[in-house]
Amino acid sequence: MAELIATRTGGARHAFAVYRRSLAAHFRSIVEYPADFWVMASAGALWQTLQFAFLAILFANVSAIAGWGYHEMLVLVGFLTLGGATTAVFWDGVWSIGSMVIKGDIDYRITRPAPVIVQVASLHVGMQAFGELSLGTVMLVYGWVGAGLSPTLIPLALLMLACAVVIETAVLTALCAVNFWVKGTMSVFAFLVNDLQQDVLRFPLGIYPAAVRLVAMFVIPLAFVSFVPVEVLTGRASDWWAFGPPIAAAATAAAAILVVRAGLRSYDSAGH
Amino acid sequence: MTHTWAVDRALAVVSLKRRLAYKANWVFAIVLGGGSMLANLALWHNLIGEGTLGGYDWDAMRAYLIISFFTATLAFSGSDWEIADRILDGLIAVDLTKPVDFQRARAAEFIGSMLSTVPTAVLGVVGAWLLFSPPGPVSPLAGLLTAVSVLFVFPLAFGITYLSVLVCFWTRRYLGIMWAREALLGFFSGMLVPLALMPAPLQALSWALPFPHFTTTPSHIYLGRVDTAGALGLLAAELAWTVVLWFGGRLVFKHAVKKVTVHGG
Repeated sequence: MAELIATRTGGARHAFAVYRRSLAAHFRSIVEYPADFWVMASAGALWQTLQFAFLAILFANVSAIAGWGYHEMLVLVGFLTLGGATTAVFWDGVWSIGSMVIKGDIDYRITRPAPVIVQVASLHVGMQAFGELSLGTVMLVYGWVGAGLSPTLIPLALLMLACAVVIETAVLTALCAVNFWVKGTMSVFAFLVNDLQQDVLRFPLGIYPAAVRLVAMFVIPLAFVSFVPVEVLTGRASDWWAFGPPIAAAATAAAAILVVRAGLRSYDSAGH
Repeated sequence: MTHTWAVDRALAVVSLKRRLAYKANWVFAIVLGGGSMLANLALWHNLIGEGTLGGYDWDAMRAYLIISFFTATLAFSGSDWEIADRILDGLIAVDLTKPVDFQRARAAEFIGSMLSTVPTAVLGVVGAWLLFSPPGPVSPLAGLLTAVSVLFVFPLAFGITYLSVLVCFWTRRYLGIMWAREALLGFFSGMLVPLALMPAPLQALSWALPFPHFTTTPSHIYLGRVDTAGALGLLAAELAWTVVLWFGGRLVFKHAVKKVTVHGG
């Protein structure tokens, strides 16, 4: 048993080392082309600035959305932004699964001594995320202070933010892995869900019909990325809901692993 | 230069057929645009209730959001990546040797690809109409002028997209440029939040840009927020922007094309 644990620990360490070196190589390539970096980072920052402006304009005209005030909404959008942006920095390569399956590029990864998904995910860095991370943090902190949330909640917020990143990463990975079966260069399902998440979950779930709330909580549990954490932090939901994000993170991670494994088993390379 | 209307038509048809070949795009556009429209309907229903916001009651807002869905579906559907890829891959070097006007050819392809989403947009509007029964246009003339203003979305979308894509002569990627353009278009057009709710300086800035003509102009005419003279003035502004963007594109291209370097020989 001890030998098995040691082997698995060694494997995980090796996989992380490969991931770290691969990602570092991409960070170095970013430095080589600073114009692209600044265009992408500025685009990300612009998106978030306009998001900020949108909320400011909205709250200049209304006092609350489904009972949520301006600062609480900023915390909500902050969680949503940071969850997505962190995933874009550290796991953006999964968007390439579709094109790699079509071109047969997975072949090369299968022959290397590291998990395929780790190699693929570290192939790319979403440079727009640097702008999003900055503005997302500003919104979260500004909203946090404005909403009068206690500093004692920071450890809980960080834990739920970590869970948010795991959920985002897992859902994105599983949806991109659908391209193992549904062939196409674009990860259509991931793109759709990601876009709908940005449209729907930047507002409190209370404004939607029950069916939307159920889907966001229990079918594709993206509500645990932003909505549930902020409900817990602002005291709208009971403390028991704080267990929701870790459970959703574990469940989505397990589902993503199963989908990727099944996808790799069904992978039959290209050209036939 | 032997660029004729027949060439434009042929390029537009090829582009349209290329888009129609991928049926998934239809579903894709309607789920994306429809999802966004439904989220917005839920939001504004919650905010407006029985009252008004920025002069919009719930009836007017329903019409506003459905018009916004229609024009956004058209505006975001053009073949921008195809133009960007030609520049980034260097294919433009081959284009320059052809007896075809580069800008006109890309415009024809762009309009052709936009036409491919008209059925999707119409289907979405019919569905939304049946579900939410928004009010009709304030008068038949307003309805007609709204349709004319929506037609301007085609050249305006091309003009803005083309100008932004030309930035690819200086960058290695297009994605960031596309995001920036879409963010500005979404915000200053009134797709995200009606301009009437913005503070006065921001409204003035918006109206100094071509973006409001994607959503605010058609909905203003449709809902009777401007009279006939005002509507004709807005249509004139759309025409003016179409001309400015077209010749602006020519001007920028003239300078940008000097960045093309052909290797080998």
